[in-house]
Amino acid sequence: MSNGILTSRLMEERKQWRKDHPYGFYARPQKNDDGTLNICIWNVGIPGIKGTPWENGIYKLSMLFPQEYPAKPPKCKFTPPLFHPNVYPSGTVCLSILNEEEGWKPGITIKQIVLGIQQLLNEPNPQSPAQAEAYELFRRDKVAYEQRVRQQARENAMT
Amino acid sequence: MSEQPNPTPPAGDEKKGDEHINLKVVGNDHNEVFFKIKRTTQLKKLMDAYCERQGKSLSSLRFLYDGERVQSHNTPQELEMEDGDAIDVMVEQIGGQINNM
Repeated sequence: MSNGILTSRLMEERKQWRKDHPYGFYARPQKNDDGTLNICIWNVGIPGIKGTPWENGIYKLSMLFPQEYPAKPPKCKFTPPLFHPNVYPSGTVCLSILNEEEGWKPGITIKQIVLGIQQLLNEPNPQSPAQAEAYELFRRDKVAYEQRVRQQARENAMT
Repeated sequence: MSEQPNPTPPAGDEKKGDEHINLKVVGNDHNEVFFKIKRTTQLKKLMDAYCERQGKSLSSLRFLYDGERVQSHNTPQELEMEDGDAIDVMVEQIGGQINNM
């Protein structure tokens, strides 16, 4: 059963998004096999910021809204998982505004979330690593880290 | 207005096809261009008009709606576009020239 607040809020978010969204991003509820919308799962694309090693890539992410949304934040998961110090090996993003015990507030919009994640791409927080691979390389060898990020951008280039 | 309601109101579907919607094309400089188009008209018309206005060729730009490329033959109806929806336009680019490395 879906909760009324969740549905009305997400329908409104979708409506606002269609009219106005940050350039190059997309965010839409997933379609079920029968063509109806699954409002609780959104497919999102986040472009890398120009002038950073992330540029030209568009990174795909699933946003999963719990029944308690907007009291609880959506879970944001890169699919496939992303090479980034603050992304768990599962692909889940570790970000203060997405943590209900930290910075999440029910008023945070989907637009704010995706812009926050875009910013996180090139501004990782080494104090709170979520995966060893990207964290180790980021700490040890910035040049190699950047090369790896550029390679990942090419792999995620928009077709 | 004191006008009488239309004695034969068009059926829902017919009305939708005939109806104009406003679409917004947003470029990478955040420049917005507005178009009014019938739901059943191919988006080629909008794309051509935009290219002409910008002095660009159709092959040098790509139009994205909801993250997916808009094809010339698509219509707003097919893509389930609504009044006020935004289309992003990007410069065609080729990424990943790995062999150049």
